[in-house]
Amino acid sequence: MTAMSARRPRRRPTKWRPIVTGALAMAVAFVVFVVPFLFIALQAVKNRRDASRLNFAWPSEWQAWQNFRDVISERNYMLLLAYFNSTVITVGAVALLIVLAAMVGYVLQRRRSRLNGIVMALVLAGLMIPPAVVPTIWVLQGLGLFKTIHGMILIQVAYGLSFSVLLYRAFIATIPKELDEAAIIDGAKPLQVFFRVILPLLRPVTVTLIVVQSIAIFNDFTNPLYYLPGRENVTVQLTLYNFQSQFSSQMNLLFMNVLLVTIPPLIVFIFFNRQIVAGMTAGAVKG
Amino acid sequence: MAEVQLRGVSKSFGGLEVIKGIDLTVASGEFCVFVGPSGCGKSTLLRMIAGLEEVTDGEIRIGGRDVTDAEPSARGIAMVFQNYALYPHLTVAQNIGFGLSLARMPKAEIEAKVRAAADTLQLTHLLDRKPKALSGGQRQRVAIGRAIVRDPKVFLFDEPLSNLDASLRAEMRLEIADLHGRLDATMIYVTHDQVEAMTMADQIVVLNGGRIEQAGTPMELYRRPDTPFVAGFLGSPRMNLFNGDAARAMGTGVYGIRPEHVLLSPDRGRWQGRVRHVERLGADAIIYLDVPQLGELVARTGGDTTLGPGAQVWATPQDGAEHRFGG
Ligand SMILES: Nc1ncnc2c1ncn2[C@@H]1O[C@H](COP(=O)(O)OP(=O)(O)OP(=O)(O)O)[C@@H](O)[C@H]1O
Ligand SMILES: [Mg+2]
Repeated sequence: MTAMSARRPRRRPTKWRPIVTGALAMAVAFVVFVVPFLFIALQAVKNRRDASRLNFAWPSEWQAWQNFRDVISERNYMLLLAYFNSTVITVGAVALLIVLAAMVGYVLQRRRSRLNGIVMALVLAGLMIPPAVVPTIWVLQGLGLFKTIHGMILIQVAYGLSFSVLLYRAFIATIPKELDEAAIIDGAKPLQVFFRVILPLLRPVTVTLIVVQSIAIFNDFTNPLYYLPGRENVTVQLTLYNFQSQFSSQMNLLFMNVLLVTIPPLIVFIFFNRQIVAGMTAGAVKG
Repeated sequence: MAEVQLRGVSKSFGGLEVIKGIDLTVASGEFCVFVGPSGCGKSTLLRMIAGLEEVTDGEIRIGGRDVTDAEPSARGIAMVFQNYALYPHLTVAQNIGFGLSLARMPKAEIEAKVRAAADTLQLTHLLDRKPKALSGGQRQRVAIGRAIVRDPKVFLFDEPLSNLDASLRAEMRLEIADLHGRLDATMIYVTHDQVEAMTMADQIVVLNGGRIEQAGTPMELYRRPDTPFVAGFLGSPRMNLFNGDAARAMGTGVYGIRPEHVLLSPDRGRWQGRVRHVERLGADAIIYLDVPQLGELVARTGGDTTLGPGAQVWATPQDGAEHRFGG
């Protein structure tokens, strides 16, 4: 009896613990992520006077639509141009990145050659050695790619390639080689083996990479700042930088701008969230 | 239908010679089985015939044509892998028709061929499933279906049944044998299961250490093994083999007698021994004897034997069933 009663109170807290820690985690996440976001959203819909106080007070006047129009039309519709540029850079770079990284990962994993060691060293170097800005600009100038969108795309591909190649290579190692061989016997040429058998099986990694890289490239601030100067080359993140001084007395517009900059990556994340998790946990080939 | 000829075929990985000069002819329409212990090079040899592994030296001919350096798809072969190697992202129908769609055959024609192959293998109701949703036996049938639609001259199988359980294996064995009868194609089949080898083969090729130890029909190899290795490899339980003093006393290097050729008698015979253990299999019983002159001797006898452990018996080899190697 005594043993029983001694044990009982010790069990109870272990039932409560997940709930308490869960609630605590939610609270921390709320304070860290949700509160700032609400703050931004709230300021973005206020009028100029209310917004300048920077508090959580309810807006005296709702002018979300007007703020939105003002930000968009600022400096001859610079934000729209920025969205266009950012979209071109992100889509172009991610598409190139996926195809190139998957191909390099495939060849690195499957072909045994003396070059593998060298290529692997280069890939790792790309991951470890920080890029130097000024020499990169020299190279871009030499190639006539400085201040061009496609130059920027190539820069983003180069920066993302190492990580993507390593991820693909590790995943391809889990795909049995017999699958390639079966396709070869079925008459597939090397490119057909890759595009019709291997690439479809890489989907979990591809989805993860699309999300991670597109958010990173879309959110990139410093690289466009260095490699893509010029009014007509502005990207979404740079609009904030350009508008900052001008909006210092118009906090409502500044926050509307922040909101517009934040939303696209958020949408991508919400849209692909489930598939990222599924991709991280799934093996390549079952059975 | 095509004859497969290997002439002096050898293979080295780096400096290591794995296949050491193989000469072999597999007749047109024949079912040839490669057997041998693990690591003897069965898979490597099969993959060289398929064209998945380069030939270091020698020549491979299929249907009289030199294919030593030909692409796998140009050799008129199809291969079934041990782990099935089905394309996980394609349905059964797409898996079977993959090669045809690569060859840009019209859709209707592909569908007809896939359907015909599926009918032969009782896969029709599974055509829309993904491989994930199939049992092991069904997956293996899909893999065979993928081979059939290519209409190959030579089928290559690399241990196709070793991932299946015993009863399914017996069933698939029969199905493959049926298929061979129906298609009349040349088949080369790798296994290390001697029951598969004995029951399915027209010709068994016993490999050991990258060389052909002996090749012939199952009964030839069973009755007249050239070497103790072959003698011990085929037959279950394995042949009793004796060397050293016991063999020298019988005037040979290695002496062999199969368990089914050891006659037991209560009062007379060549060797006297004591029963150590009896395994009753129903129709037969396997008797393990301790014989002072030889060591352990295994005998197969009727299932209704009354012998038990500790009994004294006499054992005699059946006339003409003894094997003497290197004597
Ligand atoms: N790619 C390779 N590189 C180096 N050595 C290899 C390679 N493939 C096979 N080998 C070696 O060749 C020998 C024969 O291998 P193989 O796979 O043909 O054996 P096997 O008879 O099929 O055996 P198992 O019954 O286990 O499948 C083995 O010693 C193996 O280690
Ligand atoms: Mg093998």
